Amino acid sequence: MAPSIHYHCPCLSSSPVPPPPHLASSSCSFHALHTLFFCEECDAVRCNRCVSVEVSGYYCPNCLFEVPSASVRAEKNRCARNCFLCPNCRNTLSVVPSDPPEDDGRSSIPLSAIGEPPFFLYCNHCRWDSAEVGITFEKPTGLAAQLQRFEDSASDSLEFERLKEHFEPFLRTSSLSSSSHLPTHPSHHTRTSSITAAASAALARDIPGVGRYNTANPLGRSRGKDKSVNKDEMPEYRSRVEIGASGMAGDAEFMKHIEDVGEVAGLEQRWINSWKSSLQTSDLKPLRIPLHSKVSKRCPTCTHILIKPEQKAQSVRYKIKLVAANYLPAITVALPHMQTQDATKRTVAKSTPDEDKGASATMYAGKTYAFHLALTNPLYDPIQVRLSVQRMHVAVSSDGTIPEKARRPPFAVSLPTSSFTVAAFAEAWEYEDDEDMFGVEDDELGLESPRKSGKDKDGRGKTKTVGVLEKKANLTVVGGEVVIGKEARGNVKFNMLVSYTYRSDDPAPPEDDDVPRSPMKGPEVKTFAFYTVVDLGAISPKEVLQVVDLDF
Amino acid sequence: RDKFTIHSKAVVCQDVELKGDITIGSGTIVHPKATIFAIAGPIVIGTGCIIEEGAIIVNRRKEVMRIGDDNLFEIGCRVESPTIGSSNTISTKARVHHTVRISSHCVIGAGCLVVPTEDEMLDEFTMIYGPAAERRVWSGRGKVQEADLRRKHGEYLREMLPKFNRLRRGDGM
Repeated sequence: MAPSIHYHCPCLSSSPVPPPPHLASSSCSFHALHTLFFCEECDAVRCNRCVSVEVSGYYCPNCLFEVPSASVRAEKNRCARNCFLCPNCRNTLSVVPSDPPEDDGRSSIPLSAIGEPPFFLYCNHCRWDSAEVGITFEKPTGLAAQLQRFEDSASDSLEFERLKEHFEPFLRTSSLSSSSHLPTHPSHHTRTSSITAAASAALARDIPGVGRYNTANPLGRSRGKDKSVNKDEMPEYRSRVEIGASGMAGDAEFMKHIEDVGEVAGLEQRWINSWKSSLQTSDLKPLRIPLHSKVSKRCPTCTHILIKPEQKAQSVRYKIKLVAANYLPAITVALPHMQTQDATKRTVAKSTPDEDKGASATMYAGKTYAFHLALTNPLYDPIQVRLSVQRMHVAVSSDGTIPEKARRPPFAVSLPTSSFTVAAFAEAWEYEDDEDMFGVEDDELGLESPRKSGKDKDGRGKTKTVGVLEKKANLTVVGGEVVIGKEARGNVKFNMLVSYTYRSDDPAPPEDDDVPRSPMKGPEVKTFAFYTVVDLGAISPKEVLQVVDLDF
Repeated sequence: RDKFTIHSKAVVCQDVELKGDITIGSGTIVHPKATIFAIAGPIVIGTGCIIEEGAIIVNRRKEVMRIGDDNLFEIGCRVESPTIGSSNTISTKARVHHTVRISSHCVIGAGCLVVPTEDEMLDEFTMIYGPAAERRVWSGRGKVQEADLRRKHGEYLREMLPKFNRLRRGDGM
């Protein structure tokens, strides 16, 4: 696995320090940078797990029609227009006319634009068409209305209607009785929605052992009235269809007579239905396309909007987009001794993956490796970055032995301890010469990992592996070293604290929620720190070394 | 050894790599950067075929490779099948092995690898689709419209390609 780096989101926990990465449960609090958001008010990183999400609109992914939220419930979260899913391959179906009648002399006459009825649904990908299940239309538009008849007579919607009729009288009596308890909340009961009535009835229900919370009438006069009728009692519900052996027998009969495995509908084709449907492929019907929703996300503490998409369904941009990539430096990690192997790997044809090259792209126990961290600054001001490795202590259990899961492979990481600058981000056209953009100094060229340092010395004696290696536009590459112990196994993963200071020209009032690490002076110098986990890859035992080593 | 028999009504661009004994029928269009290698045996292509850029048609066997009429070989496909019927579509980046024989009205979907280990003949109207190259049989509904579309495609190309590309003429007709 290629070396990777993930960012830590504290997710409102009290301590900003992340859990040690060798624990399996720690992976849930580390995220890739492109999935994180940044709240400017709280000066904190937010991830998808801690933001509060609200729906900002619904749309059909096929026709891109924005469905108003009122019709969403009425149409059961599906598109009400001509959008259908192929039951075979789940691609979108298109409405096509049938072929014109066969006529020898007509082959040179072009076909009419509209085409001839009957129209049917056709999948471009697998060429399934709805005529196989007997669904054809007379007009090419308004298909949903034409299919409405079929859908209403389907067994699951009939069952649902029956259930609703069964529960309706009980909800009505519960809502009427609970309205006498809570006269201060009339708004709940002017709504005819059965779901809210059911919810308030459930909340108002008697729970044995818990004293009843009566806000309105402390005398309990109205309670006596209702005790005679137990609201929770209702006659047993009888389903419309007797569920029992008959369904199973039909399936078994079918299975005994199949000739080809393609006759049975696959699991992926059947489980999107909410109702158990027939097993046969020939019974699969086209489904309406489920709607997608556009969400807007808010910071959980200050409710500032972090993400707000545009209203139009076809636009993928955002009105408000506070993503972490615009505030935090993007870090990528690479192991230079494997990069040369990757370059040759790319020339091999894609259809034949190379198995043997994968074995050499790991690290061996007992050796020292250099790794490169490339930091890219997204801000318009230069930043001073300081890296530090988090010291971890391995928990020791009561009998003195370290439990297997808590053990981590022994390795030591050294990083540059001093702070280094990463230049500000500027557009490419702002650089006058090429030299400004590719400001690489001579003594940093030709830098190799220590394994190859015997061959490529640039005449200065010792090649630098720990420290700033390269500075180019708004990218800075620093090198670090990891020494792996002889008996190490597992992945090399360590937490790294990245803290950076930058001068912000905001004339805004001083932010009190700023992390108080540096005093504010003149033009504000702000500091932000975040944790990351760096995963350099797996460690291979030393015996493999002789087989695939390329350097000797 | 190179012997190209190109019909006068076929449109073959200059930049096509041809090798071996190749016969191209009337109305067939070969886009630039296509490759037709008749390495071990000859290739005979029928009428109305459209061979797009990057398509590779190779015959490594001694027998004649016969390709029928009105086929469409999309960009990047690689075909070694010894017999291909009519009105087929081999989609983008599909690969067809030399063990498969294709009949008529088949569609090999984009990126599908049709590489069976034993010799096989695909039935008419077979559709191969999806990353796992699943198969199903098309009912044939809509084939008149598809044939019409193919014909219009060919007519358009025959009109436009010579305006922007140099054409290669055959050695003997």
